Amino acid sequence: MADKNENSLIGYDPLAWMHEQAEEKTKPSVAVACPEADAILDEQLYAESPAEQNIADAGWQDVAVDATEEGAFADTASIVLEPVLSIQTVAQLHEQLLAVLNSSNKIEIDASAVTSADTASLQLLLVLKRTAIKQQKEVVIDFPSDKFIEVANLLGISEMLEVDRAAAGFF
Amino acid sequence: MTARIVAVINQKGGVGKTTTSVNLTHALARLGKKVTVIDLDPQSHLAVSLGVVSPQTTGIDEVMLEHCNLQQQLIPVRQNLNLIVAGPRLQEIEQLNEGGARRGDLLRKALHENLDDQDFVFIDCPPSSGVLVANALFAADEILVPMTSDYLALQGLSHLMGTIKKFESALKKHYKFSLVMSRYIATRRISKDVLNTLQKYFPGQILATTIRETALLAECPSFGKTIFEYRPGCRSARDFTALAKDFLEGKVM
Repeated sequence: MADKNENSLIGYDPLAWMHEQAEEKTKPSVAVACPEADAILDEQLYAESPAEQNIADAGWQDVAVDATEEGAFADTASIVLEPVLSIQTVAQLHEQLLAVLNSSNKIEIDASAVTSADTASLQLLLVLKRTAIKQQKEVVIDFPSDKFIEVANLLGISEMLEVDRAAAGFF
Repeated sequence: MTARIVAVINQKGGVGKTTTSVNLTHALARLGKKVTVIDLDPQSHLAVSLGVVSPQTTGIDEVMLEHCNLQQQLIPVRQNLNLIVAGPRLQEIEQLNEGGARRGDLLRKALHENLDDQDFVFIDCPPSSGVLVANALFAADEILVPMTSDYLALQGLSHLMGTIKKFESALKKHYKFSLVMSRYIATRRISKDVLNTLQKYFPGQILATTIRETALLAECPSFGKTIFEYRPGCRSARDFTALAKDFLEGKVM
Protein backbone atom coordinates (compact mmCIF):
# COMPACT_ATOMS: atom_id res chain seq x y z
CA MET A 1 0.00 0.00 0.00
CA ALA A 2 1.20 3.47 -0.74
CA ASP A 3 2.58 5.57 2.10
CA LYS A 4 0.03 7.97 3.53
CA ASN A 5 0.90 11.49 4.54
CA GLU A 6 -1.55 12.59 7.24
CA ASN A 7 -1.47 16.21 6.07
CA SER A 8 -2.19 15.32 2.44
CA LEU A 9 -5.47 16.35 0.85
CA ILE A 10 -5.48 13.06 -1.07
CA GLY A 11 -7.73 10.75 0.97
CA TYR A 12 -8.29 7.46 -0.85
CA ASP A 13 -5.39 6.99 -3.27
CA PRO A 14 -6.85 5.71 -6.55
CA LEU A 15 -3.40 4.86 -7.94
CA ALA A 16 -2.36 2.60 -5.05
CA TRP A 17 -3.11 -0.52 -7.11
CA MET A 18 -0.17 0.33 -9.38
CA HIS A 19 2.33 -0.20 -6.58
CA GLU A 20 0.43 -3.21 -5.26
CA GLN A 21 0.49 -4.79 -8.71
CA ALA A 22 4.20 -4.10 -9.08
CA GLU A 23 4.83 -5.77 -5.72
CA GLU A 24 2.73 -8.79 -6.73
CA LYS A 25 4.76 -9.20 -9.91
CA THR A 26 7.89 -9.73 -7.86
CA LYS A 27 6.28 -12.62 -5.94
CA PRO A 28 6.60 -16.12 -7.45
CA SER A 29 3.40 -17.67 -8.77
CA VAL A 30 2.20 -20.40 -6.41
CA ALA A 31 0.47 -22.39 -9.13
CA VAL A 32 3.53 -22.56 -11.35
CA ALA A 33 6.15 -22.92 -8.67
CA CYS A 34 4.65 -25.74 -6.62
CA PRO A 35 4.51 -29.21 -8.23
CA GLU A 36 2.84 -30.69 -5.12
CA ALA A 37 -0.04 -28.24 -5.51
CA ASP A 38 -0.39 -29.28 -9.16
CA ALA A 39 -0.68 -32.90 -8.13
CA ILE A 40 -3.40 -32.06 -5.59
CA LEU A 41 -5.26 -30.06 -8.23
CA ASP A 42 -5.11 -32.98 -10.64
CA GLU A 43 -6.58 -35.31 -8.03
CA GLN A 44 -9.39 -32.94 -7.25
CA LEU A 45 -10.14 -32.36 -10.87
CA TYR A 46 -10.05 -35.78 -12.38
CA ALA A 47 -10.71 -38.33 -9.63
CA GLU A 48 -14.31 -37.79 -8.56
CA SER A 49 -17.26 -37.01 -10.81
CA PRO A 50 -17.95 -38.73 -14.14
CA ALA A 51 -19.42 -35.62 -15.80
CA GLU A 52 -16.76 -33.31 -17.22
CA GLN A 53 -18.50 -30.07 -16.35
CA ASN A 54 -19.17 -31.20 -12.82
CA ILE A 55 -15.53 -32.15 -12.51
CA ALA A 56 -14.50 -28.74 -13.69
CA ASP A 57 -16.88 -26.92 -11.40
CA ALA A 58 -15.96 -28.97 -8.36
CA GLY A 59 -12.27 -28.65 -9.07
CA TRP A 60 -12.43 -24.87 -9.24
CA GLN A 61 -14.42 -24.61 -6.04
CA ASP A 62 -12.05 -26.82 -4.06
CA VAL A 63 -8.89 -25.26 -5.33
CA ALA A 64 -10.08 -21.74 -4.72
CA VAL A 65 -10.81 -22.52 -1.10
CA ASP A 66 -7.29 -23.89 -0.65
CA ALA A 67 -5.79 -20.83 -2.20
CA THR A 68 -7.80 -18.47 -0.02
CA GLU A 69 -6.49 -20.23 3.05
CA GLU A 70 -2.94 -19.73 1.85
CA GLY A 71 -3.62 -16.08 1.06
CA ALA A 72 -1.43 -16.32 -2.01
CA PHE A 73 -3.43 -14.32 -4.60
CA ALA A 74 -2.00 -12.09 -7.25
CA ASP A 75 -4.25 -9.25 -8.45
CA THR A 76 -4.51 -9.99 -12.15
CA ALA A 77 -3.44 -12.85 -14.38
CA SER A 78 -3.45 -12.85 -18.16
CA ILE A 79 -3.94 -15.71 -20.57
CA VAL A 80 -3.69 -15.62 -24.34
CA LEU A 81 -5.94 -18.12 -26.07
CA GLU A 82 -4.52 -20.25 -28.89
CA PRO A 83 -5.93 -19.70 -32.40
CA VAL A 84 -7.62 -23.11 -32.44
CA LEU A 85 -9.67 -24.12 -29.40
CA SER A 86 -10.78 -27.74 -29.71
CA ILE A 87 -11.57 -30.82 -27.66
CA GLN A 88 -7.92 -31.84 -28.15
CA THR A 89 -6.67 -28.73 -26.34
CA VAL A 90 -9.44 -28.24 -23.81
CA ALA A 91 -7.79 -30.25 -21.03
CA GLN A 92 -4.63 -28.17 -21.31
CA LEU A 93 -6.65 -24.96 -21.29
CA HIS A 94 -8.55 -26.26 -18.29
CA GLU A 95 -5.31 -26.73 -16.36
CA GLN A 96 -4.08 -23.31 -17.36
CA LEU A 97 -7.29 -21.60 -16.28
CA LEU A 98 -7.40 -23.54 -13.06
CA ALA A 99 -3.92 -22.39 -12.16
CA VAL A 100 -4.72 -18.72 -12.69
CA LEU A 101 -8.07 -18.96 -10.93
CA ASN A 102 -6.17 -20.42 -8.02
CA SER A 103 -3.68 -17.60 -7.91
CA SER A 104 -5.54 -14.46 -9.03
CA ASN A 105 -8.52 -12.30 -8.26
CA LYS A 106 -8.92 -11.18 -11.84
CA ILE A 107 -8.26 -13.12 -15.04
CA GLU A 108 -7.88 -11.37 -18.36
CA ILE A 109 -8.28 -13.68 -21.35
CA ASP A 110 -7.02 -12.40 -24.67
CA ALA A 111 -9.23 -13.98 -27.35
CA SER A 112 -7.98 -11.86 -30.24
CA ALA A 113 -6.16 -14.70 -32.02
CA VAL A 114 -9.00 -17.23 -31.96
CA THR A 115 -9.89 -18.46 -35.44
CA SER A 116 -11.79 -21.58 -34.42
CA ALA A 117 -13.53 -22.60 -31.21
CA ASP A 118 -15.63 -25.62 -30.35
CA THR A 119 -18.40 -26.04 -27.79
CA ALA A 120 -16.13 -27.76 -25.25
CA SER A 121 -13.80 -24.76 -25.07
CA LEU A 122 -16.56 -22.20 -24.83
CA GLN A 123 -18.34 -24.29 -22.23
CA LEU A 124 -15.11 -24.33 -20.24
CA LEU A 125 -14.83 -20.54 -20.40
CA LEU A 126 -18.46 -20.21 -19.39
CA VAL A 127 -17.97 -22.45 -16.35
CA LEU A 128 -14.87 -20.47 -15.45
CA LYS A 129 -16.84 -17.26 -15.56
CA ARG A 130 -19.67 -18.65 -13.46
CA THR A 131 -17.28 -20.11 -10.93
CA ALA A 132 -15.37 -16.85 -10.75
CA ILE A 133 -18.57 -14.91 -10.09
CA LYS A 134 -19.45 -17.23 -7.21
CA GLN A 135 -16.01 -16.59 -5.75
CA GLN A 136 -16.32 -12.84 -6.27
CA LYS A 137 -13.54 -12.90 -8.81
CA GLU A 138 -13.54 -11.37 -12.26
CA VAL A 139 -12.98 -12.95 -15.65
CA VAL A 140 -12.70 -10.62 -18.62
CA ILE A 141 -12.46 -11.70 -22.24
CA ASP A 142 -10.42 -9.06 -24.02
CA PHE A 143 -10.29 -8.38 -27.75
CA PRO A 144 -12.54 -11.28 -28.79
CA SER A 145 -11.98 -12.07 -32.47
CA ASP A 146 -14.86 -12.03 -34.93
CA LYS A 147 -14.85 -15.82 -34.94
CA PHE A 148 -14.96 -16.01 -31.15
CA ILE A 149 -17.94 -13.66 -31.04
CA GLU A 150 -19.64 -15.55 -33.87
CA VAL A 151 -19.35 -18.90 -32.09
CA ALA A 152 -20.46 -17.40 -28.77
CA ASN A 153 -23.49 -15.89 -30.52
CA LEU A 154 -24.26 -19.21 -32.21
CA LEU A 155 -24.26 -20.98 -28.86
CA GLY A 156 -26.29 -18.20 -27.27
CA ILE A 157 -23.67 -17.46 -24.61
CA SER A 158 -22.16 -14.21 -25.85
CA GLU A 159 -24.05 -12.27 -23.19
CA MET A 160 -22.94 -14.61 -20.43
CA LEU A 161 -19.35 -14.40 -21.64
CA GLU A 162 -19.83 -10.63 -21.93
CA VAL A 163 -18.56 -10.48 -25.47
CA ASP A 164 -21.90 -9.25 -26.79
CA ARG A 165 -20.86 -5.67 -26.13
CA ALA A 166 -17.26 -6.18 -27.14
CA ALA A 167 -17.99 -4.17 -30.24
CA ALA A 168 -18.91 -1.17 -28.14
CA GLY A 169 -15.42 -0.72 -26.84
CA PHE A 170 -12.16 -2.41 -26.08
CA PHE A 171 -12.09 -1.87 -22.36
CA MET B 1 13.09 8.60 -41.19
CA THR B 2 10.15 7.42 -39.10
CA ALA B 3 7.84 9.83 -37.32
CA ARG B 4 7.30 9.43 -33.58
CA ILE B 5 3.57 8.87 -33.12
CA VAL B 6 2.27 10.46 -29.93
CA ALA B 7 -1.28 10.02 -28.61
CA VAL B 8 -2.46 12.90 -26.42
CA ILE B 9 -4.92 11.03 -24.30
CA ASN B 10 -7.04 11.25 -21.18
CA GLN B 11 -10.63 10.04 -21.12
CA LYS B 12 -11.47 12.78 -18.65
CA GLY B 13 -12.70 15.99 -20.26
CA GLY B 14 -11.33 19.45 -19.56
CA VAL B 15 -7.80 18.39 -18.66
CA GLY B 16 -6.17 20.30 -21.50
CA LYS B 17 -5.74 17.69 -24.23
CA THR B 18 -6.58 20.02 -27.09
CA THR B 19 -4.80 23.02 -25.56
CA THR B 20 -1.70 20.86 -25.18
CA SER B 21 -2.03 19.41 -28.70
CA VAL B 22 -2.40 22.85 -30.31
CA ASN B 23 0.28 24.73 -28.44
CA LEU B 24 2.84 21.97 -27.97
CA THR B 25 2.73 21.04 -31.66
CA HIS B 26 3.05 24.68 -32.67
CA ALA B 27 5.93 25.11 -30.22
CA LEU B 28 7.70 22.09 -31.73
CA ALA B 29 7.06 23.42 -35.24
CA ARG B 30 8.55 26.78 -34.21
CA LEU B 31 11.62 24.89 -33.00
CA GLY B 32 12.03 23.55 -36.54
CA LYS B 33 10.42 20.13 -36.13
CA LYS B 34 8.08 18.82 -38.82
CA VAL B 35 4.81 18.00 -37.11
CA THR B 36 1.43 16.66 -38.19
CA VAL B 37 -1.44 16.79 -35.75
CA ILE B 38 -4.55 14.64 -36.19
CA ASP B 39 -7.88 15.70 -34.73
CA LEU B 40 -9.37 12.40 -33.53
CA ASP B 41 -12.15 14.10 -31.60
CA PRO B 42 -15.47 14.30 -33.49
CA GLN B 43 -16.07 17.66 -31.76
CA SER B 44 -13.29 19.09 -34.01
CA HIS B 45 -12.03 21.49 -31.34
CA LEU B 46 -8.42 21.08 -32.41
CA ALA B 47 -9.17 22.28 -35.93
CA VAL B 48 -11.19 25.22 -34.60
CA SER B 49 -8.34 26.16 -32.28
CA LEU B 50 -6.01 26.27 -35.28
CA GLY B 51 -8.45 28.41 -37.27
CA VAL B 52 -9.93 25.68 -39.51
CA VAL B 53 -13.68 25.91 -39.17
CA SER B 54 -15.19 24.28 -42.26
CA PRO B 55 -17.38 21.50 -40.79
CA GLN B 56 -17.79 19.62 -44.08
CA THR B 57 -14.09 19.23 -44.79
CA THR B 58 -13.26 15.52 -44.81
CA GLY B 59 -10.27 14.35 -42.85
CA ILE B 60 -9.18 11.34 -40.86
CA ASP B 61 -12.76 10.01 -41.04
CA GLU B 62 -12.46 9.29 -44.77
CA VAL B 63 -8.97 7.85 -44.29
CA MET B 64 -10.22 5.38 -41.69
CA LEU B 65 -13.61 4.57 -43.22
CA GLU B 66 -12.90 4.74 -46.94
CA HIS B 67 -9.12 4.18 -47.03
CA CYS B 68 -8.64 7.49 -48.77
CA ASN B 69 -5.05 8.71 -49.13
CA LEU B 70 -3.74 10.25 -45.93
CA GLN B 71 -1.47 12.69 -47.75
CA GLN B 72 -4.45 14.23 -49.53
CA GLN B 73 -6.01 15.16 -46.19
CA LEU B 74 -3.05 17.18 -44.93
CA ILE B 75 -3.76 20.86 -44.40
CA PRO B 76 -0.69 23.03 -43.87
CA VAL B 77 -1.81 25.31 -41.04
CA ARG B 78 1.49 26.86 -39.90
CA GLN B 79 5.09 26.62 -41.00
CA ASN B 80 6.23 23.01 -40.29
CA LEU B 81 2.77 22.17 -38.94
CA ASN B 82 0.13 20.12 -40.80
CA LEU B 83 -3.37 19.35 -39.62
CA ILE B 84 -5.67 16.45 -40.45
CA VAL B 85 -9.18 17.41 -39.39
CA ALA B 86 -11.67 15.00 -37.81
CA GLY B 87 -14.24 15.15 -40.63
CA PRO B 88 -18.01 14.89 -40.35
CA ARG B 89 -18.11 11.07 -40.28
CA LEU B 90 -15.62 10.45 -37.47
CA GLN B 91 -18.37 9.71 -34.97
CA GLU B 92 -19.36 6.71 -37.13
CA ILE B 93 -16.12 5.01 -36.15
CA GLU B 94 -16.95 5.36 -32.46
CA GLN B 95 -20.13 3.48 -33.20
CA LEU B 96 -18.61 0.67 -35.28
CA ASN B 97 -19.83 -2.57 -33.75
CA GLU B 98 -18.47 -5.08 -36.21
CA GLY B 99 -14.97 -6.03 -37.17
CA GLY B 100 -13.63 -7.28 -33.83
CA ALA B 101 -10.20 -6.03 -32.89
CA ARG B 102 -9.64 -4.90 -36.48
CA ARG B 103 -11.84 -1.86 -35.79
CA GLY B 104 -9.06 -0.67 -33.56
CA ASP B 105 -6.39 -0.99 -36.23
CA LEU B 106 -7.71 1.45 -38.83
CA LEU B 107 -5.53 4.42 -37.88
CA ARG B 108 -2.34 2.40 -37.45
CA LYS B 109 -2.78 0.97 -40.94
CA ALA B 110 -3.46 4.41 -42.38
CA LEU B 111 -0.33 5.85 -40.79
CA HIS B 112 1.88 2.91 -41.71
CA GLU B 113 4.67 4.10 -44.00
CA ASN B 114 2.90 7.41 -44.38
CA LEU B 115 4.13 10.75 -43.04
CA ASP B 116 7.66 9.34 -42.82
CA ASP B 117 9.02 12.78 -43.66
CA GLN B 118 7.58 14.10 -40.37
CA ASP B 119 9.38 14.22 -37.02
CA PHE B 120 6.19 13.86 -35.02
CA VAL B 121 2.60 12.83 -35.55
CA PHE B 122 0.36 13.90 -32.67
CA ILE B 123 -3.10 12.42 -32.19
CA ASP B 124 -5.52 14.56 -30.18
CA CYS B 125 -7.91 12.01 -28.65
CA PRO B 126 -11.53 12.49 -27.63
CA PRO B 127 -12.50 12.46 -23.95
CA SER B 128 -13.82 8.90 -24.06
CA SER B 129 -12.54 5.36 -24.02
CA GLY B 130 -14.13 3.85 -27.10
CA VAL B 131 -13.11 2.74 -30.56
CA LEU B 132 -11.40 6.04 -31.49
CA VAL B 133 -9.13 5.95 -28.45
CA ALA B 134 -8.44 2.29 -29.16
CA ASN B 135 -7.30 3.33 -32.66
CA ALA B 136 -4.96 5.91 -31.16
CA LEU B 137 -3.49 3.30 -28.81
CA PHE B 138 -3.01 0.80 -31.63
CA ALA B 139 -1.20 3.44 -33.69
CA ALA B 140 0.88 5.27 -31.08
CA ASP B 141 4.42 4.64 -29.88
CA GLU B 142 4.17 7.23 -27.14
CA ILE B 143 1.44 8.44 -24.83
CA LEU B 144 1.26 11.98 -23.49
CA VAL B 145 -1.31 12.45 -20.73
CA PRO B 146 -2.32 15.99 -19.77
CA MET B 147 -3.32 16.02 -16.12
CA THR B 148 -5.03 18.66 -14.05
CA SER B 149 -4.09 18.83 -10.41
CA ASP B 150 -7.43 17.85 -8.86
CA TYR B 151 -8.55 14.69 -7.16
CA LEU B 152 -10.98 13.48 -9.83
CA ALA B 153 -8.23 13.69 -12.43
CA LEU B 154 -6.24 11.22 -10.30
CA GLN B 155 -9.25 8.92 -10.27
CA GLY B 156 -9.51 9.19 -14.04
CA LEU B 157 -5.79 8.51 -14.43
CA SER B 158 -6.18 5.30 -12.46
CA HIS B 159 -8.77 4.10 -14.97
CA LEU B 160 -6.62 5.22 -17.89
CA MET B 161 -3.57 3.35 -16.59
CA GLY B 162 -5.66 0.18 -16.36
CA THR B 163 -6.64 0.65 -19.99
CA ILE B 164 -3.08 1.34 -21.12
CA LYS B 165 -1.78 -1.74 -19.33
CA LYS B 166 -4.42 -3.86 -21.06
CA PHE B 167 -3.35 -2.54 -24.43
CA GLU B 168 0.33 -3.08 -23.66
CA SER B 169 -0.44 -6.66 -22.73
CA ALA B 170 -2.72 -7.38 -25.68
CA LEU B 171 -0.58 -5.62 -28.29
CA LYS B 172 2.71 -6.75 -26.74
CA LYS B 173 4.16 -3.27 -26.84
CA HIS B 174 5.49 -0.89 -24.25
CA TYR B 175 4.57 2.75 -24.64
CA LYS B 176 6.90 5.61 -23.85
CA PHE B 177 4.73 7.38 -21.30
CA SER B 178 4.78 11.03 -20.18
CA LEU B 179 2.53 13.19 -18.07
CA VAL B 180 2.17 16.92 -18.49
CA MET B 181 0.76 19.00 -15.64
CA SER B 182 -1.83 21.19 -17.26
CA ARG B 183 -4.03 24.02 -15.93
CA TYR B 184 -1.78 24.09 -12.89
CA ILE B 185 -2.70 26.45 -10.06
CA ALA B 186 0.39 26.65 -7.88
CA THR B 187 -1.32 28.49 -5.05
CA ARG B 188 -3.68 25.60 -4.26
CA ARG B 189 -2.58 23.01 -1.74
CA ILE B 190 -4.43 20.23 -3.59
CA SER B 191 -2.28 20.96 -6.68
CA LYS B 192 0.90 20.17 -4.77
CA ASP B 193 -0.61 17.08 -3.16
CA VAL B 194 -1.77 15.72 -6.53
CA LEU B 195 1.65 16.44 -8.01
CA ASN B 196 3.37 14.69 -5.08
CA THR B 197 1.11 11.67 -5.57
CA LEU B 198 1.91 11.57 -9.27
CA GLN B 199 5.63 11.83 -8.62
CA LYS B 200 5.38 8.80 -6.37
CA TYR B 201 3.80 6.65 -9.10
CA PHE B 202 5.41 8.15 -12.20
CA PRO B 203 8.99 8.97 -11.29
CA GLY B 204 10.89 10.30 -14.29
CA GLN B 205 7.73 10.47 -16.39
CA ILE B 206 6.34 13.94 -15.60
CA LEU B 207 7.62 16.61 -17.98
CA ALA B 208 9.55 19.25 -16.07
CA THR B 209 7.48 22.29 -17.05
CA THR B 210 4.00 22.73 -15.62
CA ILE B 211 1.49 24.58 -17.80
CA ARG B 212 -0.05 27.15 -15.53
CA GLU B 213 -3.74 28.03 -15.74
CA THR B 214 -4.24 31.38 -17.47
CA ALA B 215 -7.14 33.24 -19.00
CA LEU B 216 -5.19 33.72 -22.24
CA LEU B 217 -5.10 29.97 -22.93
CA ALA B 218 -8.89 29.90 -22.62
CA GLU B 219 -9.28 32.89 -24.94
CA CYS B 220 -7.09 32.06 -27.92
CA PRO B 221 -9.19 29.20 -29.47
CA SER B 222 -12.04 31.63 -30.20
CA PHE B 223 -9.68 33.51 -32.53
CA GLY B 224 -8.27 30.37 -34.14
CA LYS B 225 -4.84 31.29 -32.84
CA THR B 226 -2.25 29.45 -30.83
CA ILE B 227 -0.86 31.15 -27.76
CA PHE B 228 2.24 32.16 -29.78
CA GLU B 229 0.04 34.16 -32.13
CA TYR B 230 -2.53 35.41 -29.65
CA ARG B 231 -0.11 36.80 -27.08
CA PRO B 232 3.51 36.16 -28.07
CA GLY B 233 5.93 36.15 -25.17
CA CYS B 234 3.27 35.77 -22.48
CA ARG B 235 3.72 33.41 -19.55
CA SER B 236 1.73 30.61 -21.25
CA ALA B 237 3.73 30.95 -24.47
CA ARG B 238 6.92 30.64 -22.43
CA ASP B 239 5.47 27.60 -20.63
CA PHE B 240 4.73 25.84 -23.91
CA THR B 241 8.12 26.65 -25.40
CA ALA B 242 9.77 25.23 -22.29
CA LEU B 243 7.48 22.18 -22.44
CA ALA B 244 8.44 21.56 -26.08
CA LYS B 245 12.12 21.62 -25.11
CA ASP B 246 11.41 19.24 -22.21
CA PHE B 247 9.60 16.94 -24.62
CA LEU B 248 12.50 16.94 -27.08
CA GLU B 249 15.22 16.58 -24.47
CA GLY B 250 13.34 14.20 -22.15
CA LYS B 251 13.61 16.67 -19.28
CA VAL B 252 11.42 15.49 -16.39
CA MET B 253 10.66 16.42 -12.79
